[in-house]
Formats: sequence, structure tokens, C-alpha cells
Amino acid sequence: MTEEDKILEEVTAAEYKYGFTTDIESDKIPKGLNEDVIRIISQKKNEPEWLLEYRLKAFRSWEKMEEPDWANINYEKPNYQDIIYYAAPKQKKKLESLDDLDPEMKKTFDKLGISLDEQKRLAGVAVDFVMDSVSVATSFKDNLADLGIIFCSISEAVQEHPELVKKYIGTVVPTSDNFFSALNSAVFTDGSFCYIPKGVKCPMELSTYFRINEAGTGQFERTLLIADKGSYVSYLEGCTAPMRDENQLHAAVVELIAMDDAEIKYSTVQNWYPGDAEGKGGVFNFVTKRGICHDRAKISWTQVETGSAVTWKYPSCILKGDDSIGEFYSVAVTNNYQQADTGTKMIHLGKNSKSTIISKGICAGKSEGSYRGLVKIMKGAENARNFSQCDSLLMGDKCGSHTFPYIEVKNKSAKVEHEATTSKIGEDQIFYCNQRGIGTEEAIALIVNGYCKDVLNQLPMEFAVEAQKLLAISLEGSVG
Amino acid sequence: MDYQRGGPVLKEQLIQVFKDSAKNGLPFKAVREKYIQQFDTDGFPTVKDEEWKYTNLLPLTKKDYAFENTDGIINKEQLEEFILNDTDSYYLVFVNGVLSKELSTITEGAFVVGSLKHNNRQDILEKYWNSCLPQKTDTLVAINNALAQEGAFVYVSKNVVVDKPVQVIYASSNVQQDLFLQTRALIVLEENAQVQITERHQNFDDSFVFTNAVTEIVADANAIVDFYKIQNNTLNCSLIDNTWVKQAKTSNCTIDTFSFGGKFTRNNLNFCLTGEHAESNMNGITLIGKDQLVDHHTFVDHAVPNCNSNELYKGIFDANAKGIFNGKVMVRPDAQKTNAFQANNNLLMTDNASIDTKPQLEIYADDVACSHGCTIGQLDENALFYLRSRGIAKKEAQAMLMYAFANDVLENIKIPELKNKLNRIIAKKLGVQLDIEL
Amino acid sequence: MLSIKDLKAGVEESQILKGINLEVKPGEVHAIMGPNGSGKSTLSSVIAGREDYEVKGGSISFEGDDILELDPEERAHKGIFLSFQYPIEIPGVSVSNFIKTSLNESRKAQGLEPMPAGDLLKMMREKMELFEIKKGYLSRSLNQGFSGGEKKRNEIFQMAMLEPKLAILDETDSGLDIDALRIVANGVNKLRSDDNATIVITHYQRLLDYIIPDFVHVLYDGRIVKSGTKELAHELEEKGYDWIIKEADQC
Repeated sequence: MTEEDKILEEVTAAEYKYGFTTDIESDKIPKGLNEDVIRIISQKKNEPEWLLEYRLKAFRSWEKMEEPDWANINYEKPNYQDIIYYAAPKQKKKLESLDDLDPEMKKTFDKLGISLDEQKRLAGVAVDFVMDSVSVATSFKDNLADLGIIFCSISEAVQEHPELVKKYIGTVVPTSDNFFSALNSAVFTDGSFCYIPKGVKCPMELSTYFRINEAGTGQFERTLLIADKGSYVSYLEGCTAPMRDENQLHAAVVELIAMDDAEIKYSTVQNWYPGDAEGKGGVFNFVTKRGICHDRAKISWTQVETGSAVTWKYPSCILKGDDSIGEFYSVAVTNNYQQADTGTKMIHLGKNSKSTIISKGICAGKSEGSYRGLVKIMKGAENARNFSQCDSLLMGDKCGSHTFPYIEVKNKSAKVEHEATTSKIGEDQIFYCNQRGIGTEEAIALIVNGYCKDVLNQLPMEFAVEAQKLLAISLEGSVG
Repeated sequence: MDYQRGGPVLKEQLIQVFKDSAKNGLPFKAVREKYIQQFDTDGFPTVKDEEWKYTNLLPLTKKDYAFENTDGIINKEQLEEFILNDTDSYYLVFVNGVLSKELSTITEGAFVVGSLKHNNRQDILEKYWNSCLPQKTDTLVAINNALAQEGAFVYVSKNVVVDKPVQVIYASSNVQQDLFLQTRALIVLEENAQVQITERHQNFDDSFVFTNAVTEIVADANAIVDFYKIQNNTLNCSLIDNTWVKQAKTSNCTIDTFSFGGKFTRNNLNFCLTGEHAESNMNGITLIGKDQLVDHHTFVDHAVPNCNSNELYKGIFDANAKGIFNGKVMVRPDAQKTNAFQANNNLLMTDNASIDTKPQLEIYADDVACSHGCTIGQLDENALFYLRSRGIAKKEAQAMLMYAFANDVLENIKIPELKNKLNRIIAKKLGVQLDIEL
Repeated sequence: MLSIKDLKAGVEESQILKGINLEVKPGEVHAIMGPNGSGKSTLSSVIAGREDYEVKGGSISFEGDDILELDPEERAHKGIFLSFQYPIEIPGVSVSNFIKTSLNESRKAQGLEPMPAGDLLKMMREKMELFEIKKGYLSRSLNQGFSGGEKKRNEIFQMAMLEPKLAILDETDSGLDIDALRIVANGVNKLRSDDNATIVITHYQRLLDYIIPDFVHVLYDGRIVKSGTKELAHELEEKGYDWIIKEADQC
């Protein structure tokens, strides 16, 4: 008896509803990437020398790397010299409060359905908003500061907490980790930064909304989240982009550090523009997300991926500490010509480390969805446990669904279980719903939401509602 | 020979062997040319190849091999330990790759049990040779295609049921220099035909023998094939076994692979279902220990609707054994109503043993029921305790549980003596005297 | 209310229903009995609009409208309810969510606003009491892990919530123990009114001790071979189907 049904009813338009652009003047630099561009970015952001060096080092290793092609995705590789690497919404002056926000931008927030106002305060969500490359507003900051929690844009953190940024950036995802993370390390322009001090349970959900607005820009945000010993935080991330014919690039890096006894819950609802029904346009979403768990720490990734033309994303956990826990809950929906190659890596180093993987793939139209995962139990990981369940639901006979789990075990006390199924929505299920007066489209939305429930349940309430809407929208018209 | 140059040297040698022997051997010269060129271009696979990610060929390719040996002698008594003696059978025995006419029971009539070189059905050979292989093959298959000259040939014509099992033994003996053999087999069943085959590679002295085998199995409509691979060679032998099965409608093919011996064993088992309502079964037990590696790569290609495939592989890994399982099920567009089931269960007995497993589903049709399950674990401590509390010694209790773990693979074996023999091999491997007729 | 005339239906080549005639008026309870394979479940599926069956002749009208061209959900919106012999499991979809969706879809079709959550909850509570359904049940996944009896009770619970004009109970008694049978039957009886009608499809007479039918029809080999009152059901219970089959075969 929740909002669930209302949501399904609300869903009427199948069109991508976040596909508006905001008419805001922006400050951007010319297309292309070289050391000078990196220097300009660094200079514009008034960064310390070490960060410039960090960027240049990343750039130099990126230059030597090749774009990966092992994933089960096909796309025209972006021309990295044809991308604008820095585009900041131009603001008259530094914002004193949210009330000073550009009215156009405020409209953007409203259209997104994220109000940065009292409503949200009541709901107890602190929001950081990243448009194109720059963080434009962070709400609730002062309240958090009272608890010693730092929640701000990473640019701000570089200025105000350089020691923390310097200490942790690149420790979980090294600059040379992969092609896209190297690129991000070289050119990231903004993102969120969060630090939860020892023993503090963050009392509200922290949230970041990412939006690509400017044409021809890439978005390279960087998120760094540190949960000190015994702390807890739940972090939400939402993504949207306007409808554009050309492909836009999004290459983010997220690093999570969960110290001893800390817990991080990281939830994503990704709804970048998926391209139109003919497969034109849409965002290339190449994201590196990884967390490290120290003793008894827990990191839980939850993702609902409905957007992007191409998704390449493997939120991972390095279970370094003894008794650490990693979780991955994922729903990935592809329709039309979308392609998603997503999954997780669980690297077990610590004794008694545990991981759980629940992945639900839904493919419709002419799309391709792949689960790709690695469970690795290292020699010293006594009594490690993993359970994986990867299910795929197919709609229509033009789509493809694939499962590529890699399991590597080097310790005899490990217990690893992997299960996967592929099936279609049962005709008898649809008939049963029909007989009770529920039309076929609604029946599918209902069945799919049920199928994804284990994952949706992991999301904070507010996000779960949005995720359900998205699922319904994404699949509309998928069964004839 | 130094480590780095190993592969390239062997490659050159093999190409030279091809040149020297081009006029001998099997027909299909043009085809063989094509394959030696492919090998020349591709070379040996390395761990950078996705299909060889967990299995390193280098230790095998850096050796200095002989490529033929005609000195092998085996007598009947020697063989007895390695064959089913109480099951009336046809025999095909090859020694160092050469057919032993004395030990074989060559038969020609409604069906043929013979060798590729010695038979009167070149028409069948020409019709089916390479018919199961895809256009582009793995390097090892290419080498075999270019160089293989001899091996088992079984042909069963329409509606014929071969009255007793065919036992194929590839023996090696009296080997002075490390030997690299290319063996080849062709099994053809016409419509409604049936046959049971066992296959074994066995070395009779302490030398190192590396066998690269290719078997093609063609099952026409409604044919039934049961093929049992018993891999229990000496610990200095290595085997790459490539089996390609092509099935027409309503045919049923079962391939069971029992891997106990050998130092390095790689099985590439490929099924292609080209007719509706065909069924493929593949089962395996792997039970290995010190310095052994067994790698199972299976591929089931559901190209048409309404077919079933079942796959069950069990592995027990002791000491520093290394196990690899890579099972792939492909359901092509239009292959609706496919049922594909795959399970891979493993027990690791020590911390030095390892298992890398990768069960994959690639599905392009929507009305399918496909699943795979994979587990890695240990013996159930509670069960172990239960048995011990009933007075069964720990070792026996463990063996009993391991046996039980593997047992459902044995259950479906249709040749009773083979089942008993495998039971004895397993008991011996587990190091217990058990009357395991559970 | 329901008027079936010379209905012929089957799957591909095989004809299962070979000319059914049936008139059901408001307020009536009809029982359809017959041996296994006589076409009882096919009849209920065809009335509900299952596409697996092809209608090859005859007509079905409901309240004067021909319904053969309607989708299953449109028939449901008109007030036809089928209690499934084997209710379907839908993992992750809660009973309450399912009923709410179902109810509001029907309301929407009738041009009504969705039922306010408070009213809905109240109604659910009432009906749950009627069928002695425990709390916590509403949040369970639809039919998943339900016992046979629970599934059947859930069907009747849904029926109570949807208040159909015509309820078809397909073998609702199979798999029910005597207590569950009593509960289900009591519920069905309480829902009876002069405006709605019920078709009870059953193999056994037992259910008819609790739900007293106005008419009993015997279905055999795709035809109604005998019709009568509740006494016919007793006769069947005593003598089995053989005598009717013999009679039918002689004709």
C-alpha cells in the first residue's frame, strides 16, 4: 500500500521527460585535450600545484592507453579532441544562499523534480547539484557542518580541505586504472566531496544530481566519499541529460573509503538520455566506481540504470578488511538501441569478508544487456562468502541478454554461489493480470517492478519512487 | 631451449613437419594448407587471449618434441588394466598415433569401426571431414587439421545400432624424446543410428607425451551417441582435446568427460544444434591433485528452436591443483523455446588449489528458459560430523561425501562396467578402500 | 446476464467445446460438473478471453453485448471474474498492490476516480475478516509460496474486493481442506445477491453442499449433456458419471 500504483498511473508519456535544455550562459573553453587545456582547467579552478601534477600524470598515462573493447558493446568511439572539457554555468557572483540562484537554473531544478527548498529540507535530504562540469549549489551545508560532516563540491574541498583530498584521491581508483578513469583524473572539473567524521551517523540522505546541459560537452565528475571509523552515510546520485542528437560523453570516477566499522550506502538512479527510438544520440556512460572496505566496514552499491545509449559501469568493492561486507544491487533496463555492460567486482582480501550480488537485467526492443562480474577470493581471505544472483528478463525477440560472471577462488574455505536465469515475462502472468482488469502495459510494469523488488527495496524511499517511474517509462511500448 | 623462444621454435618445427609430410597423410591438401597458414599467422594462444586467460600453454610449447615415433609396442596383457574387459566390445588401438592392427577389431559392413587411414569409405570421409568445424578455428585445431594423419573412424549407416561399445585407446610407449601427437577422430551417425564409444589416452612408460586431439561427431536425425572420455593418463602427459559435435533434428548426444590423470588437460567441447528437438548432454567429473590442471571449455550453440541442452560438471581439487571451467551457452535469434541448463559445482580441498570459473549465457531469443548455477565450497561439516559420529573414519567419511558429491554425474552412464571402473578409479584417487556401491 | 449459444472452441485442430448453450440470469448459481477432460476449464478460459483458445463458432454475450472480440481486461472491466484453477505466481508484486491496481483499473474503465487509499484499506480489512485472512498477508508476493488453500482463498478474496457481476469459480474446491472450503463457501454465499451470478465449476459434489446451486449442468465431451437442479449433483455423487456418459453416448 505505497505510492507504487499512483506512480504507474502518473506515467503517461513515454518520451524522455528530462530532455530539456536550460538556457544559461556558460563559460567554456575550446574543444580538445592537451596539457595546456589541463593547465587551464586547473588554473580556472585555482588548484594547488600537486593537483595539477596529479592531472598531468594521469593525462600522460591516458595518452599511452587504448580505449577498452572487451565489453559487449558497440559504439563509435568518441573523438576525444572534439569534446569541450570545461563548461561552467556562468554565475554573476558567488552564491550566498540558494535564493540567489539563477532563475533559469532554479527552473531546471524544478523540472527535475528536485526542489532545493523547504520540501527537501523536510524530507531531510542534502543536495549537491552538478550541472555540466561544475557544482552549482549545495544545500543544507551548515546543518551538516555542526556534526563535522563536510559535504561540498570537490572544487571547494580542494580549496578548503586540501589535506583530505590529497590524502585520499586516487587511492581507490589509481590514475592509471583504466582508460576512462585516467581521462577523468586528467580533466575532472567538479563533483562531490563528502567526509563523515569518526562515529558520526549522518542524519540525512546526501544527494547529488548530475546534469549535462551544454551541447558537445563531456561530463567528468569526480566523487570522493570518506566514511571515517564507525560512521554511516547514505548517499544518492541522480543523473539526467537533455535530448541531443549527438552522443555526449560522461566519464565519472567515484571513490569510496569505508574505514573500520564504517558503512556507506551509495545509490544511483541513472537516467542519462538514452537516445531516440532509432538509436540516435544519447549519453555514453563510462564510469569507474570503486570502494574500499576496511575492517568490519560495509559498502552497499545500489543502482537503477535506465538511461544512456551505452553504459560501461562496474561499481566494485575491495574487501580489504576482515569481516568486511560488500553489496551490489542492480537493475539495468535497456530498450530500443541501448547497450549496457554492467556488473561488479568483489575482491575478497579480508578474512570472513562477505559479498552479495543481486543483478536484474531487463532487455527490450533491439537492446543488448550484459552482466559482467568478477568474484575473486584471494588466498588469505579465510571463510569468504559470496552469493550472486543474476537474472535477465527478455521482452521481444530482437534484444540480447548476456551473463559473463568470472569467479576466481584461491582459498579452500571460501563459499561461492552463483545463479543466473534468463526468461521472458510469462504469458500466463499477463493473462492473470488481464483477467483482473489490468491492461497489458500496466501488467508489464507491475511484473517488472515485482521482479526488481529486491533491488528497489534497497533504495531510500524517495529514490525508489523515482526509480519505479523510470522503469515504467523506459519499457513503455516495448511489448506489442 | 630458452623460455621465451619456446613457442616460436615449436611453431617453426611444426610448419617444417607440414612441409615434409605434405604428400603423405590424409587427403584434403588444400584445406590443410589453409590451416597451416592460419597457424603461421596466429601462432600459439597466450594468456592474453580471453579463451586462454587462466591456462598458460607456454610450459608445453617450450619443449623440444619429436612428432612421430614408430617404435611403440603394446601387448594385449598390458592393455587389460586400461580397458573394459568384461564388456564385449570393438577395439581401436593406436600406439604412438599408429593403428595397431593386432589389437584392433576392424569392422566394415553396415557400420565401420576402423581408422582414418585404413578404411574403404573415403566417400564418407570426404563428405564429413571438417563438417563440424566453424570457418575460423582455434589455433590448436588448425594445427591438428594441418598435421593429423590417423585416428579413429566410426561410421554407422541409417537405422543401424552398433551392437556393442567401441573402445578407442590412444596408447604411447617406448618414447625416447618428448612426443607431440596429433590425433584425429571422425564419428558419423546417419539417421536413426546408435553407438556407444569410450575413449582413453594412455602412456605406458615415463616419457612426456603431449596430445592435441580433434574429434568430430556428426549425428543425423534421430541418431543417438554416447561418448565417454576417460582421462586418467600418467602425470607427465598433457592433452588438448577438441571435440566438435553437430546434431540434426531429434538427435541425442551425450559426452561425459572424466578427468583424473594427466598433468595438463584442456577440453574444448563444442555442440552445434542444427535441427529442432535435438538434445545435448555434457557431464564431467574432475578429480585432481598435485601439479595437475584441468580446463573445461564448453560451448553449446543453440541455432534452432526447441532444443535442450544440459550440462553438469563437478570438480574436486586437492593439493595445488588448478581447475578452470568456462561454459558458454549461446541462444541465437529465432532459437525460441530453448531450454539450456548448466551447473558447475566445485570443492576445494586445500588452500593451494584454485578454481576459476566463468559460466556464460549469451541469449538473443526471448522465449527461452536458460539458467546456470555455480558453486564453490567445501564438504558439509555437519554431514562429515554425522558420518564420523556413526563410526566412519574421517578420511572415509570425506571420501564418501566427495563420492556423493560427484555421484549424480556417474548415474547416467549406460555401460555398467564403465561405471564400476570409474567408481574404482575414484576410490583409488580418494585414497580409500571403499565399497562404493552407494 | 450471460448467454452462450452453440459455442465451439478449441486449440489448433482439436475441438474441445462442441456446441455449448448456457443461460445465466442475475441472482442465479449454476454448477458445471463433468469428468476430467470434458472441457470445463476450457469453457471458463474462453469466457474470460484466454487467447490460447480459438473460438470457432457460436456466441457469448454478456448483458446483451457480444464479448468475443473483447480483450480479457475489457471483459474484467465489465464485471467478469475468473477464479483460476491454478492461480499464477508473480514474484515481488504484493497482494495489496495487485488488488489496488486491479480495482483502480476497473474503476478507470468505468470513468471513476481511483479509490481513496483509506477506503481501500478499510474495504480490504473487512473482506479479510470475511475470509479469515491473517494480517501480514497483504504484503506477501502474489501467490508466491502460498499453499494451495491460500491461493484459492486469495482468489476469492480478490473476487470480494472486485465485486464482479459474474464470478466463475474454476475448481475452487480442489486442494482445499474442509475448513478452508467452508470459509471460501461462506464468503461466496455472503457475496451472493440478486444482481450477481456465479458459475461453479467442479468435479465433486462436495462444494455444492456449501454453495447451493440453482442449476446443475453436466459437461461431457464438449457438450452439456444433462441439466437439472441440485438433486442432479447428488445423483452424480452416488452413481458417478458413467450412467450419464452412457446416456450421452447412446444419443
